[in-house]
Amino acid sequence: MSGKATIFVIAGFSLLFLVIAKNFGDVSNRAVDNFIDYHKETVSHSIAVSGANLAANEIFLDPTWDDGFSNRPFQGGDLDVSVQILDPYQNIRQVTAQGTFNGHTSTVRVKLAPSKFSKFAYYSVSEGGTIWWTGSDTVWGPFHTQDYMRVYRHPVYYGKATTKKKLIYYTSKSKDKPYFFGGYEQGVDLPLPTDAVDLMEPIADDDGLKFHGQDTIYLTFDRDTLKYRYSFSSPDTSIYLPSAAPNGLIFAKDCILRMKGTVKGQYTIGCSSSGDPNKGTVYLDDDIVFEKDPRIYPASSDLLGICAENSVYMTDNLPNHSDINIHGSIYCEKGGFGAQNYSSRPISGNINLLGGIIQHTRRAVGTFGSGGIKSGFAKRYRYDERLRIASPPFFPGTGGFEIVSWYE
Amino acid sequence: MGFTTILDILGSIIIGGLLMIIAWRLSEAATERTFNNSGELSMQQNLSTIANIIETDFRKIGYCDNYNKIPDPTKAITFADTSSLKFLTDVNSDGNVDSIFYYLGPTTELLSTPNPRDRILYRVVNNEAPMGSNLGVTRFYMVYYDALSDTIPPPITTPGIISSIEINLTVEKVAAFVDSVTAYDTIPGAFWRQVRLVARNLRNR
Repeated sequence: MSGKATIFVIAGFSLLFLVIAKNFGDVSNRAVDNFIDYHKETVSHSIAVSGANLAANEIFLDPTWDDGFSNRPFQGGDLDVSVQILDPYQNIRQVTAQGTFNGHTSTVRVKLAPSKFSKFAYYSVSEGGTIWWTGSDTVWGPFHTQDYMRVYRHPVYYGKATTKKKLIYYTSKSKDKPYFFGGYEQGVDLPLPTDAVDLMEPIADDDGLKFHGQDTIYLTFDRDTLKYRYSFSSPDTSIYLPSAAPNGLIFAKDCILRMKGTVKGQYTIGCSSSGDPNKGTVYLDDDIVFEKDPRIYPASSDLLGICAENSVYMTDNLPNHSDINIHGSIYCEKGGFGAQNYSSRPISGNINLLGGIIQHTRRAVGTFGSGGIKSGFAKRYRYDERLRIASPPFFPGTGGFEIVSWYE
Repeated sequence: MGFTTILDILGSIIIGGLLMIIAWRLSEAATERTFNNSGELSMQQNLSTIANIIETDFRKIGYCDNYNKIPDPTKAITFADTSSLKFLTDVNSDGNVDSIFYYLGPTTELLSTPNPRDRILYRVVNNEAPMGSNLGVTRFYMVYYDALSDTIPPPITTPGIISSIEINLTVEKVAAFVDSVTAYDTIPGAFWRQVRLVARNLRNR
C-alpha cells in the first residue's frame, strides 16, 4: 500500500514539475523568439537599405541604369532591387529595394529626380584663392564647392553643404566650426559641365529665341515684352516674349550680353563664346527682377536663369552705384560672378540677390578694410526657396540624379 | 494497535506535513517564477515593439510621398528636447504632410501602478488627442548630433541642426511579485539604445 502511495506521490510531483518546466521553457523560448524576430527585422532592413544604396550608386555612375538586382545574396539574405520610371517627362525614378532574411522582408523606396545646378544657393569649382567663409556669412540654401571649404568663426549654412575637398579651420574646430543646418558631406565630386551653355543653342533653335552675328546685344525685359538692340545708341525693337520664345530659352551666340528689366514668366538666358574670352559674358546694367517677388507673392511663378559661358558682371555704371537687385539663378561656366572694376569703382551699396550663384571661380564684388567697404558692393544674398523644386527652363543639369524622397 | 500505531500516525503526519509544505512552497515559487518570467517576457516584447515603432517613425522624419510638399527637409524637425521630439512626416504615405509628436508623460499619471517610475510614452499624430498605453516605459532619452557628429547640448534652439539621433529607451515591469525579499526598486528593466539613427530625408537635396 505504501509503495503504491509513493509511486502516486512521485508521479504527481513529476507531472507538476513537467508542467511548470514546460511553462518556463515556453516563456524562455518566446523571449528568445522576441529577440530573434527583432534581429531578423533589423538585418532584413539593413539588407534593403544596402540594396537601395547599391542601386543609387549604380544610378549615380550611370543615370540610365535600370537593370536592378534579382535574388542577389547579401549578408546571409537576399536582396531584390527594381527601378521604375514614375514620370517619363520629368524623368522621376523610383528604386524599390527588398531585403529578405530568414523569412522577414523589409522594403525601402527611394525617389530620384534629375539634379539641376539651379538648386544651389552657392556652387563653385574654385574658391578663387584663400577666401574664408566667416561668421558674418550665411548661405541660405544648398552649397557645394569642388575646392576646400575654408571657415572662420562659425559661418552658417542653412541648406545641405557638400565639398569635394576637406574643411579647413582658420584656428581650430572649436573656434571656427560652421553651423550646418542641412547636413554636411565631404568628398562629393560634382564637376561643372564644360559645354552646357553651347548645348542650349539647338534648344533655342527649336522653339526659343536666338540672337547671333552681333558683337553686343542689349536686352531689356519689360514683363511680357523683350526690347533688344545691337548698339548702345540704336533704338529698341520690341517683341512679345511668350510668342518669340515659347520654350523659355533665349540664346545669344558668341557675343556680349547686357541686360536689365522686369521678368514675367520663366526664362533662361544663355550667352556663349566661340573662344573669345570677352564674349560669352553677361553684364547686368541695372536691376533685373521678377514682376512678382516670391517673398511678397508666394504663388509667383516667375523664374530666371542667367547662364554665361564666361562670367556675369555687375556693370560699373551710374544705376549700379546705389544697390543692384537681381532675381534669378546665375550660372558662370568658365568664369564667375563679380563686379566690374570691383577695386576701383565707388562704394556701390548692396547686391540684393534673390536666387543662387553657380560659378567656376569665385570673384570679388568689392574691397573692404577695417573701416568697412572701400569699393564695390556689400553682399545681401537670399536663396529663392522655389529653386529646391523648380528650375528655369533648360537650366544646366548635373547629369545625375538626386534623392528627393527616402521611404523605409 | 498500541504504541507503534501512534508512532506510525505521528510519522505520517510529519511526513505528510513536510510534503504539504514542499507543495505549498513549490506553488509559491512557481507562481513567482511564472509571474516574473511572464512579466519579463511582456517587458521585452513591449520594448521591441516600442523600438520598432520609434525606429519606423523616426526613420521617416522629413519623408513625404509627394516630396514637393517638404521641399526643405531641414525644417522637418519642429521641436526637439531630451525626451520629446516633434517632426513632419507622411504617416500613411498618402502624400500629405503629417506631424508626429513623441513625448513622455509624468510619473504622476500612473500612480495606480505598483512601479513608481513608469510613464506613458505618447505618440500624437497631427492634432489628435494624446493617447497612450502603459507599456512600462521609465526612460525615453535622446541625444542629438550635428552634421559633424558632435553632440548638440540641450536646449535645442534650432532643430534644423540635428543630423542624427541617439535614442535610449528603458522599459520596466509595471508590477513586481513582492514578498519580504523583493522591493519595487529592484524591478528588473530592459534597455534599448539606437546609437545613431539617421533619418535619410534630413540629408536630401
